Amino acid sequence: MKKFNSRGFEMSFTWIFAIIVGIFVLILAFILISKIIGVGNIHIDAKVAKEIGILLNPLETGFEEGKTSSFSIPGNSRIISKCYPDSRFGRQVVAVSQFNFNKWSDTDVDAGFSNKYIFANKTTEGRKFYVFAKPFDFPFKVTDLIYITSASDEYCFIGSPENIEDELSGMNQANFFTTDCREDEGIIKVCFAGSSCDINVKYDDGSGSVLKDGETMYFETDALMYAAIFSEFELYECQIKRLMQRLDSLSQLYMDKIVFSASKGCDSNLNPELIQLSSFASSLSSSNNLGQIKAIVDKAEQVNNRAGCSLW
Amino acid sequence: MVNKKTRPKSRNTPSLTENKGGQLKIQQMAFVLLAITLFFVLAGLFALVFLISGLKGGATALEEKNALLLVTKLANSPEFSCGGSYGSDRVNCIDADKVMVLSKNIERYSKFWGVNSIEVRKIYPEEESLLCTLGNYPNCNSIIIKSGTGYVHENFVTLCRKEQDGGDTYNNCDIAKLLVSYEQK
Repeated sequence: MKKFNSRGFEMSFTWIFAIIVGIFVLILAFILISKIIGVGNIHIDAKVAKEIGILLNPLETGFEEGKTSSFSIPGNSRIISKCYPDSRFGRQVVAVSQFNFNKWSDTDVDAGFSNKYIFANKTTEGRKFYVFAKPFDFPFKVTDLIYITSASDEYCFIGSPENIEDELSGMNQANFFTTDCREDEGIIKVCFAGSSCDINVKYDDGSGSVLKDGETMYFETDALMYAAIFSEFELYECQIKRLMQRLDSLSQLYMDKIVFSASKGCDSNLNPELIQLSSFASSLSSSNNLGQIKAIVDKAEQVNNRAGCSLW
Repeated sequence: MVNKKTRPKSRNTPSLTENKGGQLKIQQMAFVLLAITLFFVLAGLFALVFLISGLKGGATALEEKNALLLVTKLANSPEFSCGGSYGSDRVNCIDADKVMVLSKNIERYSKFWGVNSIEVRKIYPEEESLLCTLGNYPNCNSIIIKSGTGYVHENFVTLCRKEQDGGDTYNNCDIAKLLVSYEQK
């Protein structure tokens, strides 16, 4: 009981005890609730990251390619794309961070996939995201490369070759412009001629390089050109290593298949090329060396096309 | 003169009954606080159990979704697909020779697709069920690429291989099922 007398304010021991322990209990409850909310946020982030990876499964193309699809996440979110080249096929990791209570949620939990190759900025932010896929044939199909861009990132392709322009226009992706680009500060300019844009591409019949953020990424095939345009240097180089790991494994698979085919009178004479391909792919250190493999790839393709029984 | 020993007690010093009442109140308070703490602990435990069961359910649902979506497109994966080796390009066509080779080297791909098991089972023309090995291939109808148990999703595919008749080589294609199983968490 509070008592007021001439000496001032007085409080009984019971009240003091109740207030102290009450505060302690309230703090405990507050910590518990914030922990539960935190775990809930991590749960949602991990679930969304895994779902993104799973929803990319149908993008494994048949023979249709260059189709765009999109997905939306409720609330402003960041898709964080990471790549690890260790182990047999390396790992593609996707993490999601959502903007809640005026801050970005922590992304300790992420979803990993060995069979996905996603090319995007390390952090892609927005609510709506566009996805398209393109097969990477080198010389046989290695995988489908997946490109993710945020709807809020607009790309303007200036001076692109006719085949690239046709492909981009055919996609009908709302954030890609090939003609009538707005003069907007936020728009990302991709130039195929000139060197004063955000991204500068040197393109020569499927080979070339992409200069982005002061780093040069080399490519062979259009699929890797898009990969270099939409991703960042470190991620691109890591994914190239992973792609070469898969190429190495597939080369060995085709070498074993030759034994099966030969027993049925189907000799494709591709063993020397596949051995070379496997050896170069397993030792590739950067995209700069892709040109060396391309010569073997072209040779293997020629032999395969000429063979009575094509191996792939 | 007032004797100090018989002086009435000061108002600030509680009497024996007041002391007992105070002790009782403290005991009551302690019990109430104990009950409140216990309530929070129980509520926390309940929330935790609810959260964990939700996580497990969510993980299983995601595994199922992965298997379901994967089975529809796995046949077009380069490790399985016919590509152009059987004439024109075919969708959902599995190269039996390639898959046989893959089944012998599956340790390379152990966690690659994130599923428990993968099997290709020929369903037409109908034959007696026989597991494929290097010894009996192609006179068999079930290629187990990755063995395991779990809930199964399946999809119809074409299963093609090269055959030899006399000196001629030709393409032999059958109707098959691709079965993919996932683990329940």
